[in-house]
Amino acid sequence: MKVRLETLGPTTLVIPQGRLDFASADRFQEQLEQALAGAGTAPAALIIDCVDLDYVSSAGLRVFLRAARAAERAGVSFAVCALKPAVRDVFDLSGFSRIIAVHASRAMALQSPAGPA
Amino acid sequence: MSPALVRRAGRSVGAPVRALADLLVKRDGPYARAFENLILALIALSVVSVVVEATSPLPVWAKQALRIEEIVIVAVFTFEYLLRIVAAENKLAFIFSFYGLVDLISIAPFYFAGLDVRYLRVLRLLRLLRVLKLQRRILEATVADRTRELADRHALLQQAQAQLKAELEVARALQIALLPSAFPAKPGCDGAARMVPATTMGGDFYDFIELPDGRMGLVMADVSGKGVPAAFFMAIARTNLREQAAHHADPGACLARTNEVLCEQNPMDLFVTVFYCIFDAATGLLRYANGGHNPPYLRRADGSVEALSGAGGLVLGAMPGIEYPDHTVQLRRGDRLVLYTDGVTEAFNSADEAYGVERLIAEVQEHGDGAAADLVERICSSVTVFSGTAPQSDDITLTVLAWHAPQAPAALR
Repeated sequence: MKVRLETLGPTTLVIPQGRLDFASADRFQEQLEQALAGAGTAPAALIIDCVDLDYVSSAGLRVFLRAARAAERAGVSFAVCALKPAVRDVFDLSGFSRIIAVHASRAMALQSPAGPA
Repeated sequence: MSPALVRRAGRSVGAPVRALADLLVKRDGPYARAFENLILALIALSVVSVVVEATSPLPVWAKQALRIEEIVIVAVFTFEYLLRIVAAENKLAFIFSFYGLVDLISIAPFYFAGLDVRYLRVLRLLRLLRVLKLQRRILEATVADRTRELADRHALLQQAQAQLKAELEVARALQIALLPSAFPAKPGCDGAARMVPATTMGGDFYDFIELPDGRMGLVMADVSGKGVPAAFFMAIARTNLREQAAHHADPGACLARTNEVLCEQNPMDLFVTVFYCIFDAATGLLRYANGGHNPPYLRRADGSVEALSGAGGLVLGAMPGIEYPDHTVQLRRGDRLVLYTDGVTEAFNSADEAYGVERLIAEVQEHGDGAAADLVERICSSVTVFSGTAPQSDDITLTVLAWHAPQAPAALR
């Protein structure tokens, strides 16, 4: 799995590509932690843009959960966006879309990157 | 003498010399260490003699003593040099090697100068080069030390690895032993379950719980992640779920309470998907709640298959304060309930295709008429055939409940 990083003002975007499973989970976890730490100062918002993410296993979901928790502790707003149908199913089935803000597109996530109500 | 005789004479002399070489100069030879120490002592003695000889005028008796000493030393060194040549597999290579040349230089001046060395003080000073012989000893000792050290470490590592492997196997066996081995005997229903463990320790589990009110609890669950953390969390989740089940008549309340307990003891941010249902074998009424698990399939007696509604509850252990709504479905005679983990639908073949829900539904549709155990075996073998040689990355876990409805007393009469 490949991961790209983009910075848009105070927002850091993490864009994972491919399959997020047990094999790639630890590496992705590290990358998210680095993104959260930022270059000296933490970003105001962290968005995981899943437009190129094909698959998420339960080990992959755990990375999202840990990132959401770490963001909350750091006072960084956290959201995911542009989930493919297979990934969206996993988020819905596991109930994760109830506790993590899910937006249909990057534009919508950037407009309201605040956490779930 | 004929050449043959010379060869025979050479052999008869060669054998004892070779044996002597093996004893004295071969590494690990029984007297090699002692012989090496003798050589070291002679090197030291020789260097001291050179210094004494060069710095102070000596009486005649002392000069004679030094002379005898020198002859003895050169004799021993020559003997050593010859033994090393005999012991060397490639004799020429040894003679022209660094140590071969050092050995030669430490004795050559004596033979060059004959008995009178007065005019060849420079050659005598060459004896100081005997110190270079020390280097061999140091180098060999270092290499031997390093080799021993490496071997020790390797043995330790192997031992640690074997121990770890054995402990993981025990943990795996204990984990599997937690699963119920038989479906509780209940009139009117029959059930079967199977878990095919993945190579790395997974976190799937199923459970059958006999409740105080006579109904039966069925659990299908999958802990996120793998390895020892997942196995531990599985054991904790299973124990807590069992305990809460005894105190809660509603599956949703049971999951909610279990979730609270799991959130309190979850330093690793693990979570578990749980489908929990309470089945009344007398009436066929099934009450269930779903904490983030794949919805089970209900196969009606007519062969139609539907997924149980009400999926999408949050996994357990992720966040406290969650409520899990109860759902109810009425089973009819001949219905089958199929509970599974994603190890079934996400079993991959070597072409990287997933087994998927369609194949599972097709198996359930086609082979759901028989005994529960038969359907379990059918699905397992279908998954095995599908994945072929691809490694099994996740536990494959299945439970089938078949309801025949108990014979009503009225019907018996």
